[in-house]
Amino acid sequence: MIEFKSVVKRFGDRTILKGVSFEAKQGEILFILGTSGTGKSVLLKNIVGLLKPTSGEIWIDGEEVSQFTENEYFRIRKKCGMVFQHPALFDSLTVFENVAYGIRKHRPETTEEEIEARVKKCLSLVHLHGIENKKPAEISYGMQKRVSLARTVAVDPTMLLFDEPTTGLDPVTTNAINQLIFDLSRELKTTSLVVSHDMHCALDIADRIMVLDKGEVIEEGTPEDLKNSEQPLVKDFLMEIV
Amino acid sequence: MVNECNWGLCHHGLFGDVVEVVVSKPNPFWRLVFEPVLEFLSLVAKTLVGIVQPPYRVKDLVKQLDFVIWQSAPVVIFSVSFAAIVTIIEASFHMKLVIKNDALVPGFAALLILRELGAVVSALLITSRVGAGLAAEVGTMKVTEQIDALRMLGIQPIKYLVVPRFLACVIGGFVLSIIANLVCLYAAMLVSQVQLGYSPGSFIVAMRSFVSFQDLIFAAIKGACFGAVIPLFSCFYGFRCESGADGVGSATTKSVVSTSVAIIVLDFILGYIFSYMY
Repeated sequence: MIEFKSVVKRFGDRTILKGVSFEAKQGEILFILGTSGTGKSVLLKNIVGLLKPTSGEIWIDGEEVSQFTENEYFRIRKKCGMVFQHPALFDSLTVFENVAYGIRKHRPETTEEEIEARVKKCLSLVHLHGIENKKPAEISYGMQKRVSLARTVAVDPTMLLFDEPTTGLDPVTTNAINQLIFDLSRELKTTSLVVSHDMHCALDIADRIMVLDKGEVIEEGTPEDLKNSEQPLVKDFLMEIV
Repeated sequence: MVNECNWGLCHHGLFGDVVEVVVSKPNPFWRLVFEPVLEFLSLVAKTLVGIVQPPYRVKDLVKQLDFVIWQSAPVVIFSVSFAAIVTIIEASFHMKLVIKNDALVPGFAALLILRELGAVVSALLITSRVGAGLAAEVGTMKVTEQIDALRMLGIQPIKYLVVPRFLACVIGGFVLSIIANLVCLYAAMLVSQVQLGYSPGSFIVAMRSFVSFQDLIFAAIKGACFGAVIPLFSCFYGFRCESGADGVGSATTKSVVSTSVAIIVLDFILGYIFSYMY
């Protein structure tokens, strides 16, 4: 479970998050919608300690983590998988090594045969086959994003954080990834926080949707609640799918 | 919790709480002046700790040594040879002009080469070749979130990126400085033979009256110190890189300029210290 209590995040004089509070329960899919620059990615990075909040509390599975040191955060990060806005693959490693890296790091007891099987399975989840020996620079951007997703799910995280996972992908792959997020949540009870602009997909698979505007939560509820929202920004998002 | 240090290197929590507390002061002067200085010192401290702390990344170190020494050697040898040739020809021309005799040229040239030219020129060449690439590499990793991805996997970016490059540059600076000095002396000897008419024997005799083996050791120590500066500045600016191609370009420029200035200042400091040891 992830809980934010009045989290404020400043960069110098700019306040990005202005007292954000929300809760994501285990197995829930929470979509975070908002226009560019409203602090969605900053919010995700605060959860895993890549950024530290200026004030407020962040609770993960009953632990207040905002004061954790880099070493203490490793325990939390082992539970979380994060798909970044950029593919963030390691250029010097092959696709196989990229996906296997996390398994080797988090589960050193895993045998090479098990790693190979796991990598192949994760790549097939994102519809990728036969590219294991290629370097990230040798595959398309869309494929890199899918490899990044495969790398994230390879370590069986209990919480998944997606920062615009389908941006730049074709509709078929977008649907496959949305389905994957849905399946992981239902089968493995993985908590998923998805930062996205895609209202259509949010209405399709989200349990709850939170709308962020200028660092504040302006709307939160089930997809049905949002359809009836009077917030102009939410209406704009809904207009997009009409 | 009050913590306003969320830009620059503290921004992604690479450095310790000390830095964050000091730069949490509301005065912008603190942020502008003290934050970069403290972050740099913190980077230095964490790099030094990373050297002694396992795991040791031997494979990465060997790869970096190949990049720094083996791949830089041709350009260093080529460039310092010409620097030596120019030095001896210019020295001879001006000595003949002023004191009508260039008998002291081999000695002066050797002195200049061993005390300044070999180490400084090779360090500046390593800066432009290795340092610029390193700042661009780390900067690109920062803006494409690869550094965040490393941290998500529980890997310390300083240990992973800076430590092997730091060790390689220190060793590389040491080795390349010796190579550069020997090549410089050889080039100077050849030119003095062909152009000025000094035999190799007379060149060495004249040289020995001005310089000793100690000079070569001091030059190598200088090379190692210059080598240490290169990855620290490059990685520092890489970690502080702002998003976009412009950000990477700016980080690279700043790193090369700062490293070059630091090398020249450090050369003065080391030269001053060594002057008490002759």
